[in-house]
Amino acid sequence: MSAAFLLKRLLGAVPLLLAISLLLFVIVHLAPGGPLDVYVDNPSVTPEALRQLRIGYGLDRPLPVQYLLWLKSMLEGAWGYSIRTGRPVTQEIIERLPATLLLGGTALALSLAIALPVGVLTAALRRSGVDRVLTFLSFSGISIPVFWLALMLQLLLSIKLGWLPAAGYETIGASGVRDRLAHLVMPALVLSLATIASWSRFLRSSLIDVLEQDYIRTAFAKGHSFAGVILRHALRNALIPVVTVISLDLASVISGAVITETVFAWPGIGRLFVESMDGRDYPVLMGLMMLGSVALILANLLADLVYAAIDPRIRYE
Amino acid sequence: MRAFPAGVVLTAGIALISGGVSVAAPVRGGTLTVGLPYDIDTLNVYATATLGDVESAVIEGLLAPNEHARYEPVLATEVPTLANGGIEFTKHGAAMRVTYHLRPGVTWQDGAPLTSADVKFTWEAVADPHFLAESKDGTQEVESIDTPDDLTVIVNYRSVSPSFASTLFTFGILPRHLLAGKDLNHDPYNDTPLGTGPFMVREFRRGQFVVLDRNPHYWGRDAQGGTLPYLDRIVYKLIPSSNTLGALIRAGEVLLAPRIPFMLAKQLEGTANVELIVGPSLGWARLAFGMKGKSLLRDPVLRRAIAQAINRAALVKAAGGYPQPIRSPVLPVLDELYDPSPEAEVPGYDPVAANQALDAAGYRRGGDGYRSRDGVPLAFGITTQAGEIDGEIAEQIIIAELKAIGIRVAADNKTGIAYRQVRYRGEYDLLYGRWVTAADPVYSVFYGSHGPLNGQGYASAPLDAALERMETLLEPGPRRAASADMQRIFAHDLPSIPLLSNVSIAAKSTRLKNFVINPTNMTDFISVAHWYLEPLPGRAP
Amino acid sequence: MSDAHRTAWVSLVFLMALALSVVVVPWISPYTYDLQDLELIGQPIGPDRAHWFGTDELGQDSLTRVFFGGRISLAVGLASALVATLVGTTIGALAGFFGGRVDTALMRLTDVVLSIPLLPLVLLLSGLLRPGLPMLVLTIGGLTWMATARVVRSQFLTLRELEFVTAARALGAGSGRLIIRHMLPNALAPITVSATLAVGSSIMLESALSFLGFGVQPPTPTWGNLLNAASPWIGAAPWLALPPGILIFATVLAVNFLGDGLRDALESKD
Repeated sequence: MSAAFLLKRLLGAVPLLLAISLLLFVIVHLAPGGPLDVYVDNPSVTPEALRQLRIGYGLDRPLPVQYLLWLKSMLEGAWGYSIRTGRPVTQEIIERLPATLLLGGTALALSLAIALPVGVLTAALRRSGVDRVLTFLSFSGISIPVFWLALMLQLLLSIKLGWLPAAGYETIGASGVRDRLAHLVMPALVLSLATIASWSRFLRSSLIDVLEQDYIRTAFAKGHSFAGVILRHALRNALIPVVTVISLDLASVISGAVITETVFAWPGIGRLFVESMDGRDYPVLMGLMMLGSVALILANLLADLVYAAIDPRIRYE
Repeated sequence: MRAFPAGVVLTAGIALISGGVSVAAPVRGGTLTVGLPYDIDTLNVYATATLGDVESAVIEGLLAPNEHARYEPVLATEVPTLANGGIEFTKHGAAMRVTYHLRPGVTWQDGAPLTSADVKFTWEAVADPHFLAESKDGTQEVESIDTPDDLTVIVNYRSVSPSFASTLFTFGILPRHLLAGKDLNHDPYNDTPLGTGPFMVREFRRGQFVVLDRNPHYWGRDAQGGTLPYLDRIVYKLIPSSNTLGALIRAGEVLLAPRIPFMLAKQLEGTANVELIVGPSLGWARLAFGMKGKSLLRDPVLRRAIAQAINRAALVKAAGGYPQPIRSPVLPVLDELYDPSPEAEVPGYDPVAANQALDAAGYRRGGDGYRSRDGVPLAFGITTQAGEIDGEIAEQIIIAELKAIGIRVAADNKTGIAYRQVRYRGEYDLLYGRWVTAADPVYSVFYGSHGPLNGQGYASAPLDAALERMETLLEPGPRRAASADMQRIFAHDLPSIPLLSNVSIAAKSTRLKNFVINPTNMTDFISVAHWYLEPLPGRAP
Repeated sequence: MSDAHRTAWVSLVFLMALALSVVVVPWISPYTYDLQDLELIGQPIGPDRAHWFGTDELGQDSLTRVFFGGRISLAVGLASALVATLVGTTIGALAGFFGGRVDTALMRLTDVVLSIPLLPLVLLLSGLLRPGLPMLVLTIGGLTWMATARVVRSQFLTLRELEFVTAARALGAGSGRLIIRHMLPNALAPITVSATLAVGSSIMLESALSFLGFGVQPPTPTWGNLLNAASPWIGAAPWLALPPGILIFATVLAVNFLGDGLRDALESKD
């Protein structure tokens, strides 16, 4: 894989990011009154203070100029100050990011750990009872509303049975690894359900396709064991399309985190998003949306690169 | 032998009477976990848009309102009144001067001494136009402050201001040695405020919790002269989801949840180890009319009919039976101002009369049951704070009740800041809102023609006159008479329909003692130094 | 008949029964969806003879609300899927047919919208615009067309090279006619699959929106906002949360099975 290829893909992402930033900027300014609307009727804020804020935010300039100013400051890392708390947006986000990364990372790891064996199993045991049951469960996994599942789990495991803490990140004052894990279980399960379901389905169909290829049949004819064939040959090729799906599903993990974090009071950026929506905290909202988009684009890029690395046939463009 | 039954009865009687009062000696130590039903934006009490449950345990003001909404001295040695010379009239009675004597020996939590310079600095800092704060009430009325010595503060007012204690200085004193010359909008003080109070901020993790540790040098003492506070630590968990809060209370992970929604209280009734404490609140719920411009609601007949369509009993029932119905903007608990006589003039629940009045006024029903006049339909939006369960339930009932008299109403709720904006600007038809007041409410802010928070567009010269008297007279008799006038005019004009008085419901563990509800906007935590936790059986707290 | 086919048929039957019941049940119910029974206000009551699904805290009959809500949820789901399909098909067809700069531009547009996390974006728009029902449908439909566009585009890329197209062109057929009369009918199969699956995701999205407090406002029920109203009572009155959640689940499941079955049927034809 050449550096030129890599460079080309990276450069291709730039106009994409610009377009996204423009779109977000337009959306946010659709709100009547714009970002300072919050202060306009606050009787404690004098007209003079408001005027100064306007100038500080560059709001007295024409819209295209505002966009460029905003873009410049975004690139410099000066993402502005949260309207609700007065602290830098970057600080707000950085504080909450680890919690979401922990949750998302655990969910992803859990998904891989479960989806891979389930996908292989259902492909190998195609049309059997096991396959039917697991397939039904997979479909259920992508059809269940995240918020309902979260509520039901909370009801069962916390309220009725008392096995797990209902919400939050840790028990303050009694925190430890076990405690953290106990708090992590339900949200991670809920968040990973949809991806477990979708990845195992994809892997299953991809693996089935691969298993019908000639070179696989040849391997069987040569007397290699079933498990050996799958692990050494089939799986590698079957994983290729799945990689794409994984990167696309990152989007659903980010979206799902918004609901999961709200129900389980998880202190991550998903909840920060909802709080900022409530408070019309545009600087934070913009920062979060840009971050989410960058994450998605990077994930797609990564998927492309892995794809290219695995499959020597892909060298187009 | 005969003494025995009498003795039993007597003891039982004493036990019954003193049932609610803790007779045992307070236990020192323990961590209190509190569940707050909102997310904290900042810990600067003057800047925050929320109530100051955390701040009240950390910083102190000169005075504080107790659970009967009466002021008590905290950092001042006594409450200034006309009688003790703390308040004097100046400029031939057109203005006043208030003198505070500070308690000696009080130090900030970092060891620096509290002086009058801090008080003066507080006024200057909060009044500073550069400081974007929610609660600047009272700063404009102050003309100047003199500090002849470290423990004396003389505040010179431009006018006579009976509600001088409601915000400035009561909310808290700011530390001059830390904040002089700093930008209060972005200072670290907003995350870890420094105060003189019983607890100090150890950590504030946004979106999660605030941890307060006991202040070992706190000046307060209990009745026996022992040091305060009793608790070692307070952890406030930030749990905006009512669901989650309920689950945590049941699981014992939260030992105190102040001001919970009525709905949550209903759900928690009968839970083991949990007590619901219901206390008065200086808050009331009302239906306000947006009357700006060409609004149909400028028609007093229409407003009266709407008032007659609303069944307060249904609203009370929907709120779990907790609040009381009210008919006056002045709450009965404010006994210095409340006068029951004008209430007879407030329209009661009478949908038949409402329908007749609307028919007579020419609002005809169409085929779909909804009324219109001259082609203009009676259709309005109703707004309340989105996410506030109690308000949303009340809204649904009002919508149904107005449907019964042929008025179409649709919910148009707003969240957080957007809601406040809409309230300020009067950009609503109907608004169902609650207002928690200070111990000395200033009604002209909302209902005076030039009231800064009068978003409704309501203006009435007679009401202005009554409010003027109410808010500039210090003598109780004339003040109550002015208030009665105000209530009477209100009952006729109906710019808002007072519906329910709030109660404040706290859910607490049976282990928490000495907790008492404070009805004012200073929150229950004003008295936190005296609370203690009984240990779990067989364990230290 | 294969597994997939069988479940697809069962799903279809279920969906039709559901559609029928959301029309009929509120019609024959003795209660309207917003009738508040003063006697029962204050706390949800469990299922009994008078109210088979119980009542909510406003004394409203849960059964009627659940089925009336079904009307809204299904209608929004179908309408949004329709919008998404129309937009997606148009964009995909134009991109696939014309290729070159048009294709690049349209695919760039698709990339832009795909690169923004969906739920936050929908929340942002709903929060700002506070839409009524039509705007809600447009918002959801306007943000979920991308999968359809991609599918249609790749179909058209293939179809473009086929003989009948070249022949039609030789006979002088204009682009519009070509697309609509000749190519589109051949792409109908994958479009149908896409549209079916879009219904499922639209229903989910609307429910999520309403659950978070945006979207449709009470007293008008949707399955999402019924769950929102039921969630505070999850400990004390869990029966309120069961019907709407189960119905969302069952409907989306059925739609997914149906789409999968359709896809299976198409592939075996090829």
